[in-house]
Amino acid sequence: MSADNTKKVRVALIGLGKLGILHSAVINMARGAELVALADVNKQLETYVKQAGLKAPFYSDVDKMVAEVAPDAAVLATPPFANLPVARQCLVRNMDLFVEKPLAHTLAAAKALVELAASRPIVTATGYLFAHMALFKRAKALLDEAVLGRIHRVRSAVYTSEVFAKKKGWIYDPEKAGGGAVINIASHLLYVLYWYFGLPESVMARTKHIYSDVDDAGTAFLSYQDGMQATMDVSWSLPGYRLPYTEIAVEAENGMMTLTNDAIKLFLYKAAKGLPKDWTTIHKIDLGSTSRFEIGAEGLFEEGQDFFDRCLDRRSPAVSWRDGYAVQRLIEAIYRSAAGGGTVSLGDIA
Amino acid sequence: MSVPLPKLIIGANAFEGVSYIGRAQAAQFQEHFSKAENVRAVLDAAYNTGVRAFTCSNTPSVMEALQGFSRTPEMSIFPVIPNAYEYAQEASEKGVLGAVMSKAKGFSLYQKVKLGMRALTKIKSVLTKDVMDLLLELLNFELMSFEKFKMGGVLLHGQVTDLALSSHNPDILAIFQDVIRDQYGLEPMLATHNFGSLLPQLMAWKIKMPIMTAMNSKGFMMKPSREECEKLVAESGYQILAKKVLAGGRLSPEEAFPYLAGKKIESVVVGVGSVPEAYHTFTVAKSILKF
Repeated sequence: MSADNTKKVRVALIGLGKLGILHSAVINMARGAELVALADVNKQLETYVKQAGLKAPFYSDVDKMVAEVAPDAAVLATPPFANLPVARQCLVRNMDLFVEKPLAHTLAAAKALVELAASRPIVTATGYLFAHMALFKRAKALLDEAVLGRIHRVRSAVYTSEVFAKKKGWIYDPEKAGGGAVINIASHLLYVLYWYFGLPESVMARTKHIYSDVDDAGTAFLSYQDGMQATMDVSWSLPGYRLPYTEIAVEAENGMMTLTNDAIKLFLYKAAKGLPKDWTTIHKIDLGSTSRFEIGAEGLFEEGQDFFDRCLDRRSPAVSWRDGYAVQRLIEAIYRSAAGGGTVSLGDIA
Repeated sequence: MSVPLPKLIIGANAFEGVSYIGRAQAAQFQEHFSKAENVRAVLDAAYNTGVRAFTCSNTPSVMEALQGFSRTPEMSIFPVIPNAYEYAQEASEKGVLGAVMSKAKGFSLYQKVKLGMRALTKIKSVLTKDVMDLLLELLNFELMSFEKFKMGGVLLHGQVTDLALSSHNPDILAIFQDVIRDQYGLEPMLATHNFGSLLPQLMAWKIKMPIMTAMNSKGFMMKPSREECEKLVAESGYQILAKKVLAGGRLSPEEAFPYLAGKKIESVVVGVGSVPEAYHTFTVAKSILKF
C-alpha cells in the first residue's frame, strides 16, 4: 500500500536541543507531516520556539501535551535516559514513535521500549541515519548481491575530534548517557555492522577513559557464527577529525571493499554482477542528489520522511525499535566485556 | 535592484579543512592550512589571476592569514556568519541556547558598550523580542572579526537560512537584511543548501537578496533537483552566486565551467587547495566564463 498523499501525520516534537531543532525543520519540510506540538522540560525554550517561528503550541509537560493535542506520532529528540519515560507517556494514546539513537541509555530500558511496542499497533523507528545515506545503501546492496563472495574479515573505525578535556552535560554523565564514545559515536557504526552482517556471536572489548567519566575511546573484536571476524575502533578524542569519520574495510573471497563517508572502493579478483575485475570507485557525489531537502546531516531528512511515510502506510521503517534494540545488545556486550575483561556471548544478552 | 558582485570569489573550505573527496585530502588541508603562510600563498595566487574577493567564516587561522596578507586591503571580504561549526561543537555540551549564551557572555566590556550604542539605531524598533535582540548582538559580534577588512557583503550561513525557511520565519531573514543594509551599509546575502525550496518562499515573502547556492553539472547539493534549481536560476530574477561549481572536486575546471557559461549567474565561488590549483582554476574560469 502506498502512502496516502492527502493525509498528514500530526507530529509532536519532544526535546528541543540541537537535534530537536533540526528535527523541527525536517517535520516542517517533509511531505505528509504536520508539526502540531512542541515539548521540552526547559520552559525557557518556549520563548525561543515562538520567536524562531515555530507555530505549534509549546508544552513543558508531555502528559498535558498528549492529552490536549492528541498527536498521531512523536519524534523523541530527548536524551536517551528520557526515551523510556517519555515513550510511556506517549503510548497512553498509542502514538507512532521515532526515537533518536541510541534507543535508550541501558539495555533494560531499550528492552522495555521494545516490549511496550510489541503489544501495540504502532510504527516505531530509531534514528540510525546511516540507513538513509545513499553510499551506505549502495554498499549494502553490493554485499547483498554477494559481489565480494564469502567475507573473511571486517575492520571498522569511527573517529571525531570532540573531547579533549573534561566536559559537562548529560552526554558525559554515565548514568544519563549510558556510556561515552561507544554508545554515542560508535553506535552508528555498530548499527551499520549489524545491518550489513547481523549480530556477532561474541564480543571482546576494551574501553578507555582519558578525559571523561565515560569512555573516550574503545576497541572491540567481534566473532561471527560463520567464522567472520570484525574489529571496531572508536575515539572522540583524536585530533584532525573535524566531523565524525567512518571507515569500514571488508576482506573477502573475491577481493575487498573499503567504505568511507565519501566513497566505496572495490577491488575484485573476478568480475561480478556487472562490476569489473580490479578497482572500482563509487563516489558519493556521483550518486547524485538523494533527497528533496537537506538540513544538519545527510540522511536526516530521509530518515524523518521514511518515518512519516511509514506512519501513513503502516509498514515498518528502515530502522525499527527492534533494530535499535539489536544495536543496544551489541553496545551492552562491548561494555560488559570491557568491564569484566573477558569475552561476552551475545546469547547471554537479551 | 541588483547590486554589483565580483565575478570570481575564492572560497575558504580547503582552508578550514573541508574536503568532499576524502579523509586524506581533508587531513592534508587541515595540516597544510594550519600555517597562515600557506593560506596567504593560495590567496596570493588567486590575486595574481585577478581574483579580488574572498568569502570565509571567522576561523582563527584564516583570520590570521588575512591580517598578514599584503593584498588584503585590495580584497573584498564576504563574511559567512555565524560560524555555525563553532556553535554546533559547543551545543553538544551546552545545548543550543547554552552555546549562544556562552558566546554572548564572552563579549568584552568594549564590545558590550559598542553593541549597546548600535542598538540605538533605527533597527532597534524592529526588535521587540529578546531572542531577536540576542541574534542581532551575535551578528554584530561575529562581524566585529571582519571590521578591519573591506567587506563586500555579508552572507548568512546556509544552516541558519534553511532553519528560517523550514520554520516558515521571514523575520530572521528580514532582520538580517535590515541590519546588514542599514547598520553596516553592506549587501546582505543568503547561503542555502535548499535553493529550490528557499527561492519560491523568498518570493512569497517579498524578500530579495543575492543567494549563494550549489550549481554544477552533477547536481551535487542542488536540492530538490538539478532541473528545478536550473529553472529557478533562469526565471527568478534573483542574483545568484554559484558555489560547489567543481562538485566538491569531482569535476575539473575544464569540465565544470562550461556548465555555468550562459546561465544567469552573477558570481562564482570556488575553493582551491593549492597554489597551482589556484592558477589553473581561476585562469580556466576567466577564459570559459569570459570574466
